[in-house]
Amino acid sequence: MLSDVLNPDLFASAIRVATPLALAAIGGTICERSGVVNIALEGMMLVGAFFGTAATLALQGTSIGPLAAVWIGLATAVATGALFSLIHAFASIDLRMEQVVSGTALNILALGLTGFLMESFYGHPGSTDAVRETLPQVFNFPVAAAGSGLLGTVWTWINTLLFSHSPIAYMAIAIAVIGQWALYRTRWGVRLRALGEHPRAADTVGINVRRGRYAAVVISGALAGLAGANLALEQVGTFTENMTNGRGFIALAANIFGRWTPVGSYLASLLFGFTDALQIKLQLVSSAIKVPPQFFLMLPYVLTVVVLAGVMGRAVAPAAVGKPYEKE
Amino acid sequence: MPLLEVREITKVFPGVLANDKVSMTLDAGEIVALLGENGAGKSTLMNVVYGLLSPDGGEVLIEGKPANIHNPRQAIDLGIGMVHQHFMLVEPLTVTENIVLGREPVKYGQVIDLAFARRAVLELSGRYGLKVDPDARVMDLSVGMQQRVEILKALYQGARILILDEPTAVLTPAEVRELFGVVRSLVDEGLAVALITHKLEEVLAIADRVLVMRDGRLVGETRPADTDQAGLARMMVGRDVVLRVARTPGSPGEVVLSVDDLEVDDDRRLPAVKGVSLNVRAGEVVALAGVDGNGQREIVEAITGLRRPKAGSITLRGKDITRATPRQTIAAGVSHVPEDRHRRGLVLEFDIAENMVLGDHRKAPYAHGGIVSTKAVADTARKRVADFDVRTPSIHVLAGALSGGNQQKVVVARELGRDPDLLIAAQPTRGLDVGAIEFVHEQILAERDRGKAVLLVSLELEEVLSIADRILVIYEGLIVHEVLAEEATDEMLGYYMTGGGGSKLSAPVEKGGS
Repeated sequence: MLSDVLNPDLFASAIRVATPLALAAIGGTICERSGVVNIALEGMMLVGAFFGTAATLALQGTSIGPLAAVWIGLATAVATGALFSLIHAFASIDLRMEQVVSGTALNILALGLTGFLMESFYGHPGSTDAVRETLPQVFNFPVAAAGSGLLGTVWTWINTLLFSHSPIAYMAIAIAVIGQWALYRTRWGVRLRALGEHPRAADTVGINVRRGRYAAVVISGALAGLAGANLALEQVGTFTENMTNGRGFIALAANIFGRWTPVGSYLASLLFGFTDALQIKLQLVSSAIKVPPQFFLMLPYVLTVVVLAGVMGRAVAPAAVGKPYEKE
Repeated sequence: MPLLEVREITKVFPGVLANDKVSMTLDAGEIVALLGENGAGKSTLMNVVYGLLSPDGGEVLIEGKPANIHNPRQAIDLGIGMVHQHFMLVEPLTVTENIVLGREPVKYGQVIDLAFARRAVLELSGRYGLKVDPDARVMDLSVGMQQRVEILKALYQGARILILDEPTAVLTPAEVRELFGVVRSLVDEGLAVALITHKLEEVLAIADRVLVMRDGRLVGETRPADTDQAGLARMMVGRDVVLRVARTPGSPGEVVLSVDDLEVDDDRRLPAVKGVSLNVRAGEVVALAGVDGNGQREIVEAITGLRRPKAGSITLRGKDITRATPRQTIAAGVSHVPEDRHRRGLVLEFDIAENMVLGDHRKAPYAHGGIVSTKAVADTARKRVADFDVRTPSIHVLAGALSGGNQQKVVVARELGRDPDLLIAAQPTRGLDVGAIEFVHEQILAERDRGKAVLLVSLELEEVLSIADRILVIYEGLIVHEVLAEEATDEMLGYYMTGGGGSKLSAPVEKGGS
């Protein structure tokens, strides 16, 4: 029974679950490092997922074929996430609105907008049709390449863990690593950190605070859109109303747990992903060990609370986060 | 031709004429002090030069050419650098990152050339004797070090004109001497320095020329050789000022506050106070002198109930208040003028009347059965505003709209109005000008003469020497020296404050070291 739970698939599915969380969390990191709170990640993901799916469904019947359609769907998801985030950027940077209010409004708007468009595009609520092709697995090594025996087991683990994923899962890892490097080693990164800590200091040395913050919010929207594409076009293959189901908020927690760094955000997402994957596996065996499945269902959320309670005191947020910048 | 010329600059804020046709010049190789009380318009003028404010009239010329400066970037490009009173440093970034920020050397278009940046920083720091660790994070540096980083930042950006806004407000005596040495070497290299200050002795010590401002106007120009402190003070305030309040020796009575073997941790849970014992008697002012960050804050917070001590005891007139809450502490007869009037002393969004009774607002006559009596509050506020000479058009002006001196008067009025047994005054004159300092000092001494116990926390030696009866020097969480005020000198206190007396933790530092 242990092998029903502790198998390569558990870890591979942890990575799969972690991917959308990590992308949104890194988006949150970049946004908050610039000094803008982004609790609209949830809504940006949802909008990205919807338009990504809608574009794919519209194009897959045309001459470009279903595979090209799903790639265009991915690009559409990223673009709509970025576009949608402009509302948040405008409200919080130019209108100096309370950023939590703007983010909340955006989340509600995303839920209503996607539900409404669902009805008007497809004539029914719930889920869209499935796209004909989801984003394909990147590597396709034969499972039995190393035969059975110890070597075979090792290969199964490696293959499942590292080579069983679709493109966005690999993109997320690359974005985490490159993002980390860029945050600390590039001009963009140093200026971004300065914006979120002390925008006036940045302003006095001639850095354009408004432009820097706009860019950061839009990047976070694009990453959230990519997370939405991962959910709809890679993992599920359809769009379902409210399919993000709180992931944007867990991503926000992952960003904090990861101490406002891209790699930290990824690793924190991986921890959340792992508990979620574990919870699914444990549900399968819950009748055998006489624990109600709801108990396992609860675990990822309990972990979120515990982790944030334990970490919040020590993790230091960017000093100027949530504060609109006003020139004197 | 002067390096910088300001012609008839006028700047109007809503209701205030901050600069009224002010003209001045600044030459390469000279230090000009801009002297004036808070609100005289010194900082406004320099903020105009630096492009942070746009003037309503007049012009700025650099080397005789009219300069259209609309933002700091343009000022920097013209060779103007400014070290602000509140540092413009990004704390989590390294020294090097802060210095090059905005003008980062890059390779491949975006990647910061850190090796090049480090070399540039070290080269500058060597040339002007401004030693810094280029890889340290700014948040880990002392205030004096952070100021060096600010100066290096301006130099890295190519400043030929350096504006220093109240640079000594946060420094220890040793750091001030060091800063003045640096400033002297900068002007020897051909830079021009404008120094904004309201401290008379500094002006006399460092300036080549002094411009005195009052109420937005330039009211005089002089040279240190032609004047003295009293002369400068008269120009600045417009009347004769008592620089050291007259006082009679105190007549200490019974012990009011007694602290025994107190140990307190700081925010990072590191020991900040490591076994301090002290007592303050009725009718005496005891000064706790020390450089910022040596445990004074934690002692004050422990006494006032804002922080829980780890060990030791605190008694007030024999009553144990070691673990008392702030409310119980106030009830026991402790008043507290906190060091940060914005964060702790006042609610800036409340009006003066509300701030005047804060802490007593729940008791009669200010409230009955949980309902505030606005009339009683207003009556008290009006009386206190009059008694303490708070300059305000109305008691319903928000505290945040007052000048620093008037804000401090509100805090002092409230805390003294409570008629406490013990007054704790932490940096009570920080950021105040001579007129207001004089007033606060008089109030504290009057309190003493009424038989109250006063614990003064200060890093200003002037202040400590002029109003304390007894001085305790604190260093690294320990009292390292105790002396009667009449036997103390600047040099002696400075020596002990910077570790000269040694402590249980660190080896003694050579005299004059920092």
